[in-house]
Parts: sequence; structure tokens; C-alpha cells
Amino acid sequence: MAAADLNEIRATIEARITTELNKAPKIPVMFHNMAYKPTANSSWVQCLTTFGASEYLSQGLTTNSRNRVVGVVVFNIFTAKGRGPGSNYKIGKRIRDLYNRVIVSGVFFDAPVGPEALATPAPEGYFQSQVRVTFETIEEL
Amino acid sequence: MATLRGEQGAVQFDATGSSNATIVGTRSWTLTITKETLDTSKHGDTFRSFVGSMVSGSGTVELVYDPDATGQSGFLEDVVTTADTADATFELFTTGTSSGTDSVSFAGIITDMEITSTVGELVIVSASFVTSGTITSNLE
Repeated sequence: MAAADLNEIRATIEARITTELNKAPKIPVMFHNMAYKPTANSSWVQCLTTFGASEYLSQGLTTNSRNRVVGVVVFNIFTAKGRGPGSNYKIGKRIRDLYNRVIVSGVFFDAPVGPEALATPAPEGYFQSQVRVTFETIEEL
Repeated sequence: MATLRGEQGAVQFDATGSSNATIVGTRSWTLTITKETLDTSKHGDTFRSFVGSMVSGSGTVELVYDPDATGQSGFLEDVVTTADTADATFELFTTGTSSGTDSVSFAGIITDMEITSTVGELVIVSASFVTSGTITSNLE
């Protein structure tokens, strides 16, 4: 066994949303450390994967042992301002359905939170909602 | 002697007592060793006196269940061994896995096994055992 490859987990998560939002109707999706200038009144999604604290699961130090690695994926969904939440929540449903209680490549996704409408969108000029999905994977050393 | 933490420990087991192997996914173990006492007080004594008698042990092992993890299935299925002759061997380590060092070893019988599956949580196995015969302590 080997230590968990967090970058591989990130890539697995991001590939899933990329594939989904590449289907019609296509929605641009951005990730950490990517520059993007959205066009006015367009829809787009920001996907941010972050890892949290790991914890011991079993005895055994660096061999024959296991850790729990947890993380969260935050999806910021932006749609045109002043046109109601419908189009935004449709994207939210696509994202929610994509991760809801799914197990992919050893990553266990929990039931999602949201989409929650945010009172102060960032960047301004859009209607923004947020879907958050916590996940965990078991690292086998 | 350094202070130890639980993650340094391990449990080794063999259902037939031939060659102990580490049970992968062990989360914790406990062992209680009890020595019975015999009252040797005599008529006229004003203070009660005792001698040590039979020694026995019991304990638990908790696993994060994984049917593919080395050693787990053999361990948790030993509870269904009928007419158990206590041929299974255990070695509980406080640190490392070097046989005869920082460990307690004995033959024993798994007396109960509980597997718990709860939504949103890892599946956990908890097993209890009693020792049979000599308990060899190397907790130096």
C-alpha cells in the first residue's frame, strides 16, 4: 500500500464535474489557481477542492496502518443577476446529483449541502449559490 | 522507557496457532489479567492474609472492518469455531511487531464478535476473547 495521492483525488473530483458540465448545456468550470474572466450575464461554476485534517484509524505506524483523510469540495455557481434562481438551481441539481452519496475511486462523498443562495456574491454582478460536499478516503499504508 | 501511543501497537493472531500474523486495520485492543486469591488466614489472626492463585485473562480487539485486510476474516470468523480447543494464538503489542518484545502472548478463545454498520460511519468489528493456559508477558 502507499500513502494517499491527494492530487489524484483532486483530479478524480475535478474530472467528474468537468465531464458533467461539458454536456449540454455546457457550463464553464474553473478550479483553484485558474484565471477566468466571465462574460456578463453568463453562467459558470467554480470548483474548489480542499483537504482537511487526517486522523488515525488503525494501529501500525507507517506499515499495515490506515488513516482517514477528509476534505470538502465547494462549488460556487454563478448565473445572471435579476432573473431568479431557477437556472442557478438547475446547475446546482446537476452538481448535487453528481456527488450525492457516491463512492468513486475509494472516495466516499457525503450527502451535499445546498445549493445555498449567497447574499453577497463574489464576484459581484451575478446570482451566486453554493453546493458543498464533504468527502473522505481511507489511506492505507 | 518512552511513553507510547496507541498507534504504535498491533495485534497478531493465528486461528490454528501455527504462525501469528498482524491483523491489518486493528483500531484498539484491551487486556485484563486477573489473579485469584486464596484466603490463608488462620484462627487467631487479626489481619487477613492471602496467596495468589489461578491467573486468567480476557480482553477485546476492535477492527476497522475490511474484508480484504490481511488477517481480519480469520480473526473475526474464529468466533464460529465449534468445539473450540483454544488452539488460536494471540500476541498483543504495545509497540512494534517483534515477537516476544513489548507484548503479551497467549492462546485463547474468541467468545463474542460484534460487527456494527451505521450510516455515515465506518463499519467496526469488536471481538472479545478469554485466554487459555499460560500468559506470557513481555511488557518490559
